Formats: sequence, C-alpha cells, structure tokens
Amino acid sequence: MGPGGLTHYKRVSGDAVEYEVFARKTRGEPLHQVGSVVAPDDDLAVAYARATYDEERWVEMAIVRKEHVIELWQPGEA
Amino acid sequence: MSLSDLVLSIADNKQMLGLRYAEWATRAPSLEADIAAAAMGLDDLGHSRVLYGCLEPLGADPRGPDRESDAGSLRSLQYFDEPWTEWAQFVAANAILDTAFTVMIEACVNGTVEVLQHRMRKMLMEERYHFLHGRSWLKSGVDANPLSEAWREAIEWFGPLDGETATFHKEGRLSMGPTELRARLEERLETKAPAVQIDWKAWDPVRRRSRPGAIDDRTFAMLRGLEEKKYAKAPPAP
Repeated sequence: MGPGGLTHYKRVSGDAVEYEVFARKTRGEPLHQVGSVVAPDDDLAVAYARATYDEERWVEMAIVRKEHVIELWQPGEA
Repeated sequence: MSLSDLVLSIADNKQMLGLRYAEWATRAPSLEADIAAAAMGLDDLGHSRVLYGCLEPLGADPRGPDRESDAGSLRSLQYFDEPWTEWAQFVAANAILDTAFTVMIEACVNGTVEVLQHRMRKMLMEERYHFLHGRSWLKSGVDANPLSEAWREAIEWFGPLDGETATFHKEGRLSMGPTELRARLEERLETKAPAVQIDWKAWDPVRRRSRPGAIDDRTFAMLRGLEEKKYAKAPPAP
C-alpha cells in the first residue's frame, strides 16, 4: 500500500465507542466477559467481536456498549 | 458452460478475495479492522476449499493442467489481478463483490442441486459478518472509483440476461438469475447500482469478465507454493 493509503483514516476514530464482549462455551455456563472492541457502530462492533474472539467454539456471544453498563459499585466500594 | 464452471468461478474469486483481504491484516485503519481482515481472509480461503471440493460431486471438474503455469487460466475477476493500494478498494470489494458472491451462494443454496444446498449453507452464516463489516465501512464513505469498478465487475460476473446463469435459473438449479441477483445485491446494500456499460460481446463466459489480464506474478507464485520455497532450508550437501 502506498503511504497515502491510510492518511484518510485514523487508526482510532474519534466517534468510536467501546463495546464489552460476552460469550459462553456451553449452555450450562453463564455468559462471561471475554474482552472488548472499539467500533463506530453496532454492525462493525459485531464483526470485530466475532473476528477478534473466535478462539473458542462459543455457543453464544453478545456485545453491549460499555456506556450502557450500569455499575452498582466498583472494587473497593463494597 | 456447466454449473461446475460457475462453482469454479466462485471458488477462484473467493480464493483471491481471501488472499487480498489477508494482505491488509497489518495495514487496515484500526487494530480491529486488521483482525477482521485476517479473519475474513481465512473464511474466504476456507470457502474456496469447500467449493473446489464440490466440483467432483457435480460430475465435471473443469480445472486443467494449465492452472499450474498460466495465471490467465484462473477465473478470478480483474479487481483481484493486482494487490490493492488503497483501503477504499478493500471496502468496495468487501461490501460489493463479497456480497455479490454471497448472493450467488444464496442462489445455489436455494436451488435444486443437493450438493450445493448442503455444502454452501454454512458459508452464508459466516458471510453475515463480512457483510456487516463491508456495509458499515461503506456507510463511512469511501472513494467513488473503486465502488463503481466493483459494481461493474459484480454485474458483469452475474452474466448476461440471456446467458448460462439465466438458464440455470430457468432450470431451477439456481434460485436467481442475473436480474434477480442484481436486485438482491442492491436490496442488501440498500442502494441502486450505478449505470454501467458492459460489452457482452467481449465477455468471456468461462472467466466471467470482459477484460483480459491475470493475477500478478508474485501472487500466482504464492498460490503454487513457489514463494514459500524461497525460504525453505537448502537440502544438505551430498
């Protein structure tokens, strides 16, 4: 690729948001957080989560915008 | 022209699409996009292997010995002849050409040929993520030139309205013909195809393209395993 190829695009977009990724390997186990991705919209976040965390044969995977997670307390506050 | 020729065309194009995707695994606009490029590349290379495996059950394998020596005997589109130099080319291929191949796979899965119904169905599940990736990047805005080129080649690849693809549709072997394939592609991408002029007299029904040319020498050598041999250990001296 020529050096001009990336100049129109930022490696991290200013309007990109963080998504938490949850998955489970069997129906019997609860969903647990396996990581996070950064993307400008839900569709791209889905594609990125599937590509990034495909190391297991998950039976279920879900993503949620980090800003939509309501924290009850944080470490040290309980 | 047989259905095997069409399946081989899908296979060769997916192989080249996978290789071109993989070339961007370290130079996409974000780390996530790097990883997605690698994952989609692996998917499409895997799909091509499944498709090559369909040729024998279909009854006629159109691959000849010239595939080892003549890059022009491969049936990939002009879009894949050279490595892409701009991210916009990646996005146009991802959104338009990858989806065009998926739409053709839908036509095979919903057609009457059993081996294609069974073996190609799983590809549609994996392609869902390619589509989301391509459509999202497409919405972010990319240069018009690669987009119009990808549209032109997609429509050309579907074939003329009175060609074999239309016949396979009439026979039920494909659930869609060129008109329906184009409409389905437009529906999925939520946009109309630009007006394109195609010289069908120059169209090669085997390679499903109207312009000559072939993939670059380095990629062709890599496909044949010659690039890897450059890095192999020299055999011990006798």
